[in-house]
Amino acid sequence: MTTQNEAPARGLAWLYVVAGAIGLLAAVALTLEKIATLSNPDYIPTCSFNPVLSCGSVMESAQASVFGFPNPLLGIGGFSVVVTTGIAMLAGFRPPRWYQLGMAAGTTLAVLFIHFLIVSSLYDIGALCPYCMVVWAVTIPLFWYTALATWPALAPLRRVHSAILALWFVVIIALIVQRFWSYWTSVL
Amino acid sequence: MPAQSRRPPNPLTGPRRPSLNVVLTAVVVVLAAVIFGGILIFGGDDEKPADQAAVSKTLVPDDANALTQAPADGRQVTLVEFLDYQCPACAAFYQNVTSKIEKDYADRITFVTRNFPLDSHPLAQLAARAAEAAAKQDKYVEMYTQLYQNWNDWAVQGDSVRSDVRAATRQFEGYAKAIGLDIKQFRADIDSAEVRKKVQRDMADGEKLGVDSTPTFFLNGERFEPEGDSFADVERQLRAELDEALDQ
Repeated sequence: MTTQNEAPARGLAWLYVVAGAIGLLAAVALTLEKIATLSNPDYIPTCSFNPVLSCGSVMESAQASVFGFPNPLLGIGGFSVVVTTGIAMLAGFRPPRWYQLGMAAGTTLAVLFIHFLIVSSLYDIGALCPYCMVVWAVTIPLFWYTALATWPALAPLRRVHSAILALWFVVIIALIVQRFWSYWTSVL
Repeated sequence: MPAQSRRPPNPLTGPRRPSLNVVLTAVVVVLAAVIFGGILIFGGDDEKPADQAAVSKTLVPDDANALTQAPADGRQVTLVEFLDYQCPACAAFYQNVTSKIEKDYADRITFVTRNFPLDSHPLAQLAARAAEAAAKQDKYVEMYTQLYQNWNDWAVQGDSVRSDVRAATRQFEGYAKAIGLDIKQFRADIDSAEVRKKVQRDMADGEKLGVDSTPTFFLNGERFEPEGDSFADVERQLRAELDEALDQ
């Protein structure tokens, strides 16, 4: 049994390290852009290319500071925990049950939050922010594989884990393509 | 556990069928790629409703006013102008550029106007609300035209901008009568929360898009940067870009 459990645990640990690091970098980049915007109102963020791909309009929206401070600060804190946990697991740390539940709770809140942000970005703000999309892209697998590792009830889905993940991404990509249709056709 | 199941399969001769997960994942990815690619390449031009809806809502909300409308079955070219009715530059653009574009490209492009009344113009808010109040009676274009054609009467006095709101209100009511609006309704609408909110929303959208002066134009979502020394130059440039967009 130990050999069976080792492999998924190592896989999850690497996912935490890699996806967590990517998310952390994106959150740091967003924070730096936010600071630059605050110190110079005329500053145009490096990720604002046109009205569709524009982190400027996303960062200035009300949803960009849901809790009264810029969202990427949550990302810096949260993704740091994820990376640290991944490295600790690679170093031999076997998370006890309460720790797994904590990771599951954290990634569940994160995935709910980013879906709220996706809906806001698409249907309310009407613009896409590249760094934010990086965060969306890493948060979903972090949630999904943490949930699979934590909840025994999801065991049947482990056999098709990446198919479900792919479907999830396809749905979001479809919504993005549909929403900004004329932009994509004008780019082609 | 039965003993024989522990025997590792020979990696070279044993059957190596891809797992259900790998197959399903590949199916999802390939299907998505084929469908998206197919729609994008082959379905591009006859997806008109989606095409229009996709122009960022920040730029063109559903209830935005349009001076001209592109044909539903043609190439969708959208010109958006953020304007301040009292701003001298906007009036000059109207005289020299946009009124001609409005006429010459009437059936070919969608020309949307958005409100961006600046604080430095005391009557700009009121004028924007007058235009939006007319829009509620489906006479937006008529009021827009009235406001610009009578600009010298209500907006300026010599070199300075006018600021008498009561006088302007009377003048705007005169225009409303001239274009056949229900005047009681117009008076109610011009002060209504709905109309005020719409003007505020336009300004907020403009700020999101980086508008800080008027007029500011967007052609198919890209900011149009006027170049050259004269309105004739700008007109030529705008026509060239519109023609290019229509030809694509």
